[in-house]
Amino acid sequence: MTIPRPLFQAAQKTTLALLVTTVALTILFPLFFLFTFSLMSDYETYSEWPKPLWPHSQVRYRMEKISPQTTRLLIWNHGQSQWQPFGPEHIEANEEVAKKLSRFLTNYGNTTLSPSEILSHVQKAQNSGFHEFTAQKSLSQNYQRFFRLYSGAADAVLHSLSTALLTILISVVIGGMAGYAFARYVFKGKDVLKLSVLFVRMFPPVAIAIPMVVILGRMGLYDRPAGLSLIYSVNQIAMNIWITASIFMGIPESLEEAALIFGANKRGAFFRITLPLAVPGLAACAMYSFISSWNEVINALILTQFRPTFPVVVYKSLLGANAQVHLIAAGSIAQAAPAILFTLIIRRYLLQMWGGVKV
Amino acid sequence: MTTLTLTNLAKRYSRSVWGVRSMSLDVKDKEFVVFLGPSGCGKTTCMRMIAGLETVTRGRIILKGQDITDLPPKDRGVSMVFQNYAIWPHMNVYDNIAFALRLKNVDRKELNQRVKKVAQMVRIEPLLKRFPGQMSGGQQQRVALARALAVEPRLFLMDEPLSNLDAKLRVSMRTELKTIHQESGATSIFVTHDQSEAMSMADRIVIMKDGEIVQTGTPEEVYFQSANTFVAGFIGTPPANFFPVEWKNGKLEHPRFQLSPPPALHQAIENHGKNRLILGVRPESIQVVREEEALFIAPVLVVEPQGSHQIVAVQVEDEVVKLIMPPACGVQPGELLPLTFDSTRLHLFDEESQLRIPGY
Amino acid sequence: MNASKTPGLIRERQERMAPYLLIAPAVIYYAIFWLFPVLNAISGSFLSAPLKQGGEWTLKNYAAVFTDSMFYRALINTAIIVVVSVSLEFVLAFALALLINKKFRGSSLFLFLAIIPMSLPAVAVGAMWNSGLATNGWLNSALVHLGILGEAEKIPFLAGGQGANILLIILVDAWQVIPFMMIILLSGMQGLKPEMAEAGRVFGGTRWQVLHKITIPMLKQTIVTAMILRIIAAIQIWLIIVMIFGFNRLPVLMEQIVVNVDLYTAETFFRKGMALSVLVALIVSLASVAYLKASGALGAKKEEAS
Repeated sequence: MTIPRPLFQAAQKTTLALLVTTVALTILFPLFFLFTFSLMSDYETYSEWPKPLWPHSQVRYRMEKISPQTTRLLIWNHGQSQWQPFGPEHIEANEEVAKKLSRFLTNYGNTTLSPSEILSHVQKAQNSGFHEFTAQKSLSQNYQRFFRLYSGAADAVLHSLSTALLTILISVVIGGMAGYAFARYVFKGKDVLKLSVLFVRMFPPVAIAIPMVVILGRMGLYDRPAGLSLIYSVNQIAMNIWITASIFMGIPESLEEAALIFGANKRGAFFRITLPLAVPGLAACAMYSFISSWNEVINALILTQFRPTFPVVVYKSLLGANAQVHLIAAGSIAQAAPAILFTLIIRRYLLQMWGGVKV
Repeated sequence: MTTLTLTNLAKRYSRSVWGVRSMSLDVKDKEFVVFLGPSGCGKTTCMRMIAGLETVTRGRIILKGQDITDLPPKDRGVSMVFQNYAIWPHMNVYDNIAFALRLKNVDRKELNQRVKKVAQMVRIEPLLKRFPGQMSGGQQQRVALARALAVEPRLFLMDEPLSNLDAKLRVSMRTELKTIHQESGATSIFVTHDQSEAMSMADRIVIMKDGEIVQTGTPEEVYFQSANTFVAGFIGTPPANFFPVEWKNGKLEHPRFQLSPPPALHQAIENHGKNRLILGVRPESIQVVREEEALFIAPVLVVEPQGSHQIVAVQVEDEVVKLIMPPACGVQPGELLPLTFDSTRLHLFDEESQLRIPGY
Repeated sequence: MNASKTPGLIRERQERMAPYLLIAPAVIYYAIFWLFPVLNAISGSFLSAPLKQGGEWTLKNYAAVFTDSMFYRALINTAIIVVVSVSLEFVLAFALALLINKKFRGSSLFLFLAIIPMSLPAVAVGAMWNSGLATNGWLNSALVHLGILGEAEKIPFLAGGQGANILLIILVDAWQVIPFMMIILLSGMQGLKPEMAEAGRVFGGTRWQVLHKITIPMLKQTIVTAMILRIIAAIQIWLIIVMIFGFNRLPVLMEQIVVNVDLYTAETFFRKGMALSVLVALIVSLASVAYLKASGALGAKKEEAS
């Protein structure tokens, strides 16, 4: 009792606050930097050091008069805090050069300036010796470029989506049926089945994917979203049995029994009473299925060829020879966004699920 | 006129586990029958078989002349109030009550009338648009009742409907349920483990133990003519006291007293012909008397005031015997009480079979 | 008498059949899309080519695995990663959960944040750390901005030796897993009735004793489940490693399967990959069973059953 109690409590509170802040920042920083990277222009990516911590929404340019006919363009380098030459050494005031420069500024500076705007800036620099101006940076440009540069990325999103939707359909229906049986009935082999759900997870997905190349090939489903969703469902059905079992266990059986008494048959009781009550939980289950299908790489890598899923495209873009960090960052963010969104929506269920899973 | 007949009804869960062993019962029209027994005695299983929620292993269920043993629940014309109410949380009160009527394609005008009528009966009219999540336990209970009454059932089943309510509400709901029963005239079966609930509500009580009926009778019958020691020891607050006695020389002998039974009882014991008996005495049949009239004297252990009366526990041999005394009579623990029995209200059971000896 | 019983028996039989009908699709599905490929993989790993194409039963595929020095490096690396990362993650997550197990302002926002890393697709995590750990990456940039490093200094995170590389992977994995593990434990702790721990304190237990004798045993179910899924996942780590270091620089088991199956096209490599994947499956199963045994969960299961 050497430390006075209020002081001790204050110290405790501060420590807690510090701890929580540290953890929160550790979680946030990498994500935030990835986001910052996804907004950088080529110039920032390759010529600035250190890299900006905060995404710049504007680019500062400066035109300097070299001679009555020629001007040169400089760009503000945030890393070194100085003007640096940017683009061609001389700019002549003609339409052809302005067009070229406009394209250059779009590609390397992520800024859109029309040739006529450029010419007017050149004119101003000619008039007063130098002229500074800022241009709005396009924030979506890297995202667009990712999809243009890595061919098939847009199609890959469609493949990913259809794979995910099929996975949801298969795994929620089949898993849900089994989950209902687990929740409502006592039957022989229930314990063995419960454990087998875990056992299924132990066999690495690749080990299944390799023979599946042949099996799906025979079924004509190799390199198709439908084939991929069949594999994803293997793991997901096991997961969904757990999830739906806990959902159905949360709905008292007497609600169904009451429906039976008051004029419904078994099917009616399920569809009128249990199913509507399970909808929020099942929606969470569907989102979870979506996330795991949307994020999966290794099976997709092995089981697709010309119709890759989106994560495969991002993965390959990174391993490619001329990896462009800022574009890949854009691709990753685009890939991560739906997963993050759905996870946040269903976070309550995720936790419940973990609490409810028993070995 | 008989509404419900159960013949040799039995439910087996597995090879050796029986829910109900054998049950035969007639329930008369408009009767209010209570299934009473400790938990695990089969009373709820029996009710669920009547409702069709549980399959029947053996025996028949006849309702208004129709064999319903194998019908699905919806075709039986029974309705039920569940222990946890089982109100559907995604429907408002009106839809909960109207559920069954809609499935039966009752036309909208009549449906509306019937919902309003039962809502009035259980006094939840202002709540019709509410959802169950916004209501108290008592209100949910009323909705469950209304829903069960709206279908105008041939048989009305209630599975411990009051056990989830708080003590005060439970007592007031008893009265209300009885009023509703009198108004609606529906033949009712009510399951409970609470004997005071059973006593206060039942026209007839069916006492069950280990999957079998032990005694069927009006509250008075099971109280004053308890069929065995189990019933005598289960019914009553506090239940009957038991004394092991021996029939010797025309007297019931106990280590602490000798009792000469009245002539009718004397004859019954003689006819029964066995010597080892158990004497059952209800607490109110034990009287405090002057010392010279006392059958025996016993020290007071504990006094429990109840307001209208008090329960006094005394020690007789190794047993604690409870008796009822008027309030504020100034009895203190440790005091010696001279006691005797009201000899017209004695219960005698065979020690071996635990059954009441017949004929008095 | 028997004839009149029939409808009841039919109903009873239907009742009994219902659960089997409901689980039948799942069982059939597993037979076709799990058991069949698994058996295929196992038999395929013992074949030189498909039987129809004149393949023969052989142990060559396994021999190829066991004579490959990469396999042993991969095995050791995987073992180190599993043991260190799973225990480190658990200890840190548990410590954090204990410290944070209080209601504080913004606690729901905090939980909201903590769940994000686990939801990220593996490729996004790979890209994030690839761009972060590069010499010109954001981690060095941030250190320069913070004044910890001078402008000319850069830490070559990825140029370290094998040990440093493993450490990096463990840290990256920890970044993703610890917050989630922490919330799982937190939600487990909040599921415990506070009276339990309070009773422990009331009856004279110290903080440590209460933790040791009451909190941990009551969380056991949650802990065992979380740990076993973590072990299974940790053995199968590969994508992040490949995205940060590329193939064959820090070999691990799963990565080697991908190397054999996806990078090379020859039948022999494909078969070797199959053999490897069967071995990995064996390792995962053994590790999980060993963990279940060690934690006593299997014993408890038996007690419950009897």
